Amino acid sequence: MTTKLAVSALGKRFGNLDVLQGIGVQIAEGEFISIVGPSGCGKTTFLRIVAGLEQSTSGEVRLDGKVVREPGTDRGFVFQTDSLLPWRTVLANAMIGPEVAGQAGQAEKRRTLDLLKLVGLGGFEGYYPRQLSGGMRQRVNLARALAVDPKILLMDEPFSALDAQTREIMQTELMRIWEQGRKTVLFVTHQIDEAVFLSDRVFVFARRPGRVRETVEIDLPRPRALAVKRTPEFVRYVDRIWKMIEEDVRESVLHENA
Amino acid sequence: MDGQIESTAKSEAATSNVGGAGRGFRPGWWRGTLSVLAGLALWEILSRYLVANALFLAAPSQIVRALITLAESGQLERHVGISALEFAVGYVIASIVGIALGLVMASSVAMKQSLQPWISGFYATPTIALAPLFILWLGVGVWSKVVVVVTLVLFPVTINTEAGIRTTSERLIEMLRSFGATRLQIFLKVSLPSATPFILAGLKLGIGRGLIGVVVAELFGSRAGLGQLISQSADSFNMPNLFAAVIVLAAAGIVLTAGFGWLESKLVPWTKD
Repeated sequence: MTTKLAVSALGKRFGNLDVLQGIGVQIAEGEFISIVGPSGCGKTTFLRIVAGLEQSTSGEVRLDGKVVREPGTDRGFVFQTDSLLPWRTVLANAMIGPEVAGQAGQAEKRRTLDLLKLVGLGGFEGYYPRQLSGGMRQRVNLARALAVDPKILLMDEPFSALDAQTREIMQTELMRIWEQGRKTVLFVTHQIDEAVFLSDRVFVFARRPGRVRETVEIDLPRPRALAVKRTPEFVRYVDRIWKMIEEDVRESVLHENA
Repeated sequence: MDGQIESTAKSEAATSNVGGAGRGFRPGWWRGTLSVLAGLALWEILSRYLVANALFLAAPSQIVRALITLAESGQLERHVGISALEFAVGYVIASIVGIALGLVMASSVAMKQSLQPWISGFYATPTIALAPLFILWLGVGVWSKVVVVVTLVLFPVTINTEAGIRTTSERLIEMLRSFGATRLQIFLKVSLPSATPFILAGLKLGIGRGLIGVVVAELFGSRAGLGQLISQSADSFNMPNLFAAVIVLAAAGIVLTAGFGWLESKLVPWTKD
């Protein structure tokens, strides 16, 4: 397996606070990786550094061997809030990446239309964001990130704003879409069961300083149906990860309430 | 001061949405119509039987007659034409310069800090009080009124433009940045469209201020225009003519503002909900 993303000795300081310290991970082509951890463990900061939206203070991130310094269309970012432009139609929103890169031709338009179909929005390309539900907006958010045909998909808690049922549907939808192209995905989430359900490996982060505490391989057969969440194996994975971060979570909750 | 202006801009944008969305008749529309008709009837009765003095108050029926007479003699057309010209020239200049100035202010902190005291100062000053000065400088013709309109319309437009650009959602900017967008792309694809409702609200605010500017400046000294018609009618105690001029102004204000509401519903339909 070829390495898609290689992160070595990555650190980030804010003043004299170590947000991230000594992060070293390798992600293979086509892997689905989730990052879980207590709030304040720097998981979102890590994702933003990979995206080029923030700079690290030490170490480096390499995508296909090339050092990442700034944002670019070789990565597709799916935001926590949909961040759709309200004055643009679904299609025009999804096309913004190619447009910024100066490649909004007929071929890209056809490809984006196909992507909209893939995410389940066929026939909605002329709609405006205000006419869509939260789940549908996140589908546009995903299609927009895929429209630049990125080497890696970076997802920042994309389903956290959705209600529980919609979230489950979106998880299976994401699996369905991912099975078709097997893109490399880095997925940040609060939900341990979401991470286990989606991932090949889960990076469990610890806080102060933010670092990788452990990597958990999820050995559940694919494709996975929602029912897998009720199997003993699945529950064992969730328990194991929860135990790893329990102490940290308690501490962070106390800390935040203090 | 700053926050206040911003909230004005927002509430203005909000109210104009209601106007934009509320086309067609809503249930209960007849209440408004009935209220206006009752008011007119009361006015008619009051001026005919209670005041009964043409020197103090004109009845609606007399005003309508005055309007017809003024229109037939061609006087109304001349006055309206001059006032409309003064308003239009001043308004267009103020809109262009105001938006440009707002964009300059939003472009950098240094620019904003240097220009803010001037803009806020002029916005708060009733610059209409300077109308006699402008008439002294530029004469009783069209240009002194144009300048008055510009000084009244410019500043709300500038303030709203700057506020609109500045309050562009950080999330949307970040989204565009994640695709490697340049500063210019971010401005054109996010900041400018998201500031458009604010800019339109500023321009709408400018309509009322501009109309006041034209009339008051004409009152101070002019050869023609609705303000001149008002002052001349007042001097000769011709109440029907005075009211006729006021009615024309009110109609102009209502039509222009309603036209703007329509424009907003076309240009910025996403602010509807």
